[in-house]
Amino acid sequence: MKMRLSLAIASLAILGVHGFVFYQQFFHKWETYQNSYFDQARTLAKTDQEREALASRSPKIEQIIVTQFGSTRVDRCTTCHIGIDDPRFKENNQPYKAHPYTAELGDREINGKWERRHKFADIGCTVCHDGQGRGLQEFYAHGEDEFWTEPMLGYVVQENWRPEFKDKLKGKEFMQANCAQCHTDKDFKSTPLVNKGREVFVQQNCYGCHRIEGISNGTLGPDLSDVGKKWSLNYIHESIVDPRANSATSFMPKFNMTDEEVKALTIFLKSRRGFNYAETQLDRYRATLTKSPATSPESTEPGATTPAVADAKLGEQLVQQRACAACHKIGETDGGIAPDLSYEGLIKDSEWIVAHFKDPRALIPDSIMPTFTFSDGDFRSMAAYLGTLNKPPALNNPQEIYTNLCMRCHGDKGDGHGMIAIYLDPYPRDFTNAGFMNSKPEDRLISSIKNGVGGTSMPAWGKVLNDEQIKGVLGYINQNFTKEARTEIKPRKIPDQNPVAMSPDSVARGEGIYLQRCTGCHGRKADGKGANSLDILPRPRNLLNTAFVTQTNDRRLFESIMYGVQGTAMPPWIDYGLTTEDVGDLVNYIRSLNQGKKDAGLMTLLIRGH
Amino acid sequence: MSEKKNNIFSTLSSMPAAIWSSVFRNNLPYTDLGRSKTSFNNFFLHIHPVKVHRHTLKPWFTMGLGLISLFLFLILVVTGVLLMFYYVPSTAQAYDRMLDLRGSVAFGVFLRNMHRWSAHGMVAAVFLHMCRVFFTGSYKKPREFNWVIGVILFLLTLFLSFTGYLLPWDQLAFWAITVGTAIAGYAPVVGEQMRFLLLGDTTVGQEALLRFYVLHVAVLPVVMVVLIAIHFWRIRKDGGLSRPEEADIVEPAAVGTVLATPAPAMAMATAAGGINVIEKKNYGIQGLVRGPFAKVGNVPDNSVFSYPNLLLAELFVFILTVLGVLLVSAFFNAPLEEAVNVLHPPNPAKAPWYFLGLQEMVSYSAFWGGVGIPAIEVLVLLLVPYFDRGQKGVGKWFAKERLLANTLFLTFVVVNIVLIIIGTFFRGQNWEFVSPF
Repeated sequence: MKMRLSLAIASLAILGVHGFVFYQQFFHKWETYQNSYFDQARTLAKTDQEREALASRSPKIEQIIVTQFGSTRVDRCTTCHIGIDDPRFKENNQPYKAHPYTAELGDREINGKWERRHKFADIGCTVCHDGQGRGLQEFYAHGEDEFWTEPMLGYVVQENWRPEFKDKLKGKEFMQANCAQCHTDKDFKSTPLVNKGREVFVQQNCYGCHRIEGISNGTLGPDLSDVGKKWSLNYIHESIVDPRANSATSFMPKFNMTDEEVKALTIFLKSRRGFNYAETQLDRYRATLTKSPATSPESTEPGATTPAVADAKLGEQLVQQRACAACHKIGETDGGIAPDLSYEGLIKDSEWIVAHFKDPRALIPDSIMPTFTFSDGDFRSMAAYLGTLNKPPALNNPQEIYTNLCMRCHGDKGDGHGMIAIYLDPYPRDFTNAGFMNSKPEDRLISSIKNGVGGTSMPAWGKVLNDEQIKGVLGYINQNFTKEARTEIKPRKIPDQNPVAMSPDSVARGEGIYLQRCTGCHGRKADGKGANSLDILPRPRNLLNTAFVTQTNDRRLFESIMYGVQGTAMPPWIDYGLTTEDVGDLVNYIRSLNQGKKDAGLMTLLIRGH
Repeated sequence: MSEKKNNIFSTLSSMPAAIWSSVFRNNLPYTDLGRSKTSFNNFFLHIHPVKVHRHTLKPWFTMGLGLISLFLFLILVVTGVLLMFYYVPSTAQAYDRMLDLRGSVAFGVFLRNMHRWSAHGMVAAVFLHMCRVFFTGSYKKPREFNWVIGVILFLLTLFLSFTGYLLPWDQLAFWAITVGTAIAGYAPVVGEQMRFLLLGDTTVGQEALLRFYVLHVAVLPVVMVVLIAIHFWRIRKDGGLSRPEEADIVEPAAVGTVLATPAPAMAMATAAGGINVIEKKNYGIQGLVRGPFAKVGNVPDNSVFSYPNLLLAELFVFILTVLGVLLVSAFFNAPLEEAVNVLHPPNPAKAPWYFLGLQEMVSYSAFWGGVGIPAIEVLVLLLVPYFDRGQKGVGKWFAKERLLANTLFLTFVVVNIVLIIIGTFFRGQNWEFVSPF
C-alpha cells in the first residue's frame, strides 16, 4: 500500500513537471508581443479592411530566409520585432519600434513615402546587425549567450566580456564591419572606420606578420582572412591591445595605438570573414584569374611617393611610423623581440641593410623578420637613417659593454637565455657551457666577437669596440659565466685544407655518409631540423646557412666533424669510424649544398655581410 | 430476419469484450491462476517469470539499477527517434539544427535535455549496476557469461554516448571527440588504423560526423537491443537473480497455513525435486527456471506472483526514473557551445566526463593511460567470473567470504572515480592542477 501511495505521488510529480514544460513551450513572450502589436495596430487602422486583416492574424513565428549571402540565413527577428517595417510605430519602444529611415543608408522619400534601400524581406536582419537569427528568446537571439561569436553589433555587451572593454565596444559604428561585407570598395564613404582600419593595418605593419587574403601575405602570425567570422569583437579587441591575454605564447608586440585606431582596426578585422556576403565562389575564381593573389600594400598607402635620393630624415620618419621599434631596440625604445639597431650604422652598410629589407632570409636564413613590401625608395631612406646611427657608445668597462651590447641576447646570467633569445635562430651561445667555451682557442672566440658569426644575428662588434675592449669583455665572460680556468687545448691532427678534391663523386659519397650518420639531428634537408633537433641545445647547425658555411674554413669543419663539438650533442666521428677521406667527402657535400644557389651579388654580401 | 438482426446486435454488443479477450487473452486476474496466465500469455509480460523470488524484490538488494539502465535506454530510444526528425548529420547543417531545436522546435530544448541527461545517467546507472552485481557476487556460476555480456553492454553504453557526443557539432563536441579518438590512436600497431576507420579521415570532419551518426542511431542501438535481450533471457534461464542459499529456506509464515512441514525439511524436499505435492496448488506451469525452482511449481517456496508484485516494483522504478530525468531536464539545459572552430582548441580540450579518467591517465603516459591500463581493466573485468570461482557469498552485499574480491573491486571503482573527478574538476589550462574552490 505504501508503494502504491508513493507511486501515485511520483506520478503526480511527473504531471507537474509536464505542466511546467508545457507552460514553457506554449506561452512564449513573442506571442504576447505579437498580440499587443495587433491590438495597437487595430486602434491605428484607418479602414475596416485593415481591421479585418488584423483580426484574422494570429501569433506565429515570422521568419525571413536569406539565401543570397553565402550560407543560408534564417532570421526570425521579426517574430518579436513585428512592427519593424510599420512606419506608424516609429515612436514606440522596443520590440515594437519601427526601423528608422535614413538617407545615409540610401532610403529615399518619394511623394511623402519612404522607401528602403535595404529591404528586410531581401536581406533579413542579421546581415547588418548580427545576433542569432534562429533564436526566439531574447537571450539567444541577441547573442548574449557567451558561446555566440556574433552578438548584435554595437548594442549588446556580453556579461562575460572584459569589463574595461564593454564601453569601447558599444556604438553603432561597429556595424560598418557588416556594411563592408557587400560594399567592398576600399573607399566606400559609409564605412569610414573600415577604411581607416585598413590603413592602420598597413601603417602599423600588421601586414608584415599577418596574412589577409587580397591584402597581405605575412606568415609569422595567424592568418586573419576570416578572423571576423571566428571571433567576437571582444576577442579581437583584446588580442590587439593585449596580445598575450588570449594566447600566452604570443609574441606579438603591444602597439602604441590610440583608442580610435584600435576601434578602427577592430572593425576592419571584424569585417574580414573569408567570403564577403556579396561574393560567390565564381567571383572569387574570376578574381584569381585576373590579378595576383595579393596586391602590394604600398599601392594602398596614402601619399607614398618615392623620393629619388635616399633621405635620412624621411627614413627616420618611416622607421618611426612603421613601428620598427615594436620589435627592435633603437636607442631608448625597445620592442623586446628583435636585435638592437642602435649601432646599425657602424655594423652594417646600406647595401646590406637594403638587401636584408627586401629578403631577410636570403641573408639570415632562420630569421623571423617579416618581408615588408615598401617601395625601393623607402627602403633606401630607412637604410640611410639607420646609417646615421653610427655613434659608438661610451662604454668604460667590460661589465658595461656586456650589459649594453651582449645581455639582450646572451642573458644576464650568460646562459644564452636573453630577453630576445627565443626569437633568434640559431640560439645565442651559452657562456656557462664550459665544455664548449674551453674547447675553443681564444682566437676563435675573439674572432666571433670581432667579426660576428655569418648567417646569424651575431654582429661584428669589431666595428664598435676596439681590440682591447673585446678582450676585456671576453675576460669578463670567462670570469663571470664560464668560471673555469682555460686549459691548454691539445694539438690535434686536422687538415687545413680539404684533402679530397671537390668532385661529383666525392659529393655523392658525402651524401651517402650524410644520410647514414647526420640526418637524425641535422635533418634530411640539412636544415638543422632533424627528428632529434628539438631535444638538443644548442640546436644542430643549419647546414644550408650559406653565409655561415661559406665563412667557416675547412679546418673548422674538419675539427667539428672529426673531434665533435664539446659541450654540444655533436660527437667525435673519428670514434665512430669515419676516416679523414670520409670527412672530406662530407665537407664537399655540405659545401655543394651551398654553392650556386645564390647570385654573385648576394654571395659577396653574404661573405662581407656580418 | 429478426434472428439475423439479433445476431448483428449481439455481435456488436459482444465485440468490445471479444476484442479485449483476443488481445489480452484473459480478464484482469483475481486468482493465482489468472495471475500466472496474465504473465504467461502477454507478449510484453512474458519476459517475466510467472513467479518471482521474494529476495529478488528486496529494494536494497538490486536498487533497481538494471531496470533504471533499461528505462533510461528506452527514454533514449524514444527521445532519440524524435530528435532524428530534426537532425541532419552534415557539418554545414548540424549546428544550425541545434539552434533550431533550442530556438523554435516545440519541446526541442526539452527533448535534447532529456536525451543528454539520460545518456549521462545511463553511463552512471550501468556502471553502478555492474558494481552491484560484483559486490553481491552475482556473477558466479551459472551467471558468468551474463556478466561478460553485461561488461560488453557497459562498453557499448560508453561508445553510444561517445558517438552521440559529436553530433551537436559544437566546440565541446568537436574537441571532446578529437581528444577521445586521439586516445584510441595511442594503441600500438592498430591504433592509427582504428582511428582512421572511426573517423574516415585523419581529422574529425564530415566523414566522422556521418560515421558517428550511423553508429549512434542504427548500428549500436541494434547491437544493444540484441544484447539486452540476451542479457534478460539469460537471467530467466539462470534462475532469476542471484540470492543467498538461506533465502530458499521456506519459513512457515511464507507458505501460510497450507504448510505444516518444518522449514529445514521443506528445503530438503525442495532440493530433492519436490516430493511433497500440495493439493491446493494443483495447476501446472511449464519450466520456469533452472535450479531448485526449475520444475512444475507445486512445492511451497519463497516465490510470489510476478503479477502484480514484480510489475509494481518495476513500475515504481520506471516512474522514479522518468521523474528524475524530467526534473533534471526541466531545470538544466544541455550545453551548446560555439560552432566548430577547427583552428581554436579550447584549453584544456576535455573528453566526455566518463573518459576523463582515461585522459587523466593519458596525461601521465599516452600508451599506458590511454590503451594499456584500460585494456587490462576491460580484460580483467571480462574474465573476473572465470578467475573467481568460489561459490561462497553469492547474493549478499559485501559478503565476508568475498572480502578480497570486493576490496580489489572497490579499489578499482574508487581509483577510477577519483581519476574522473580529478580530470573533471581539478584540471585547468594546459592540464595543470587547479583547485575548483
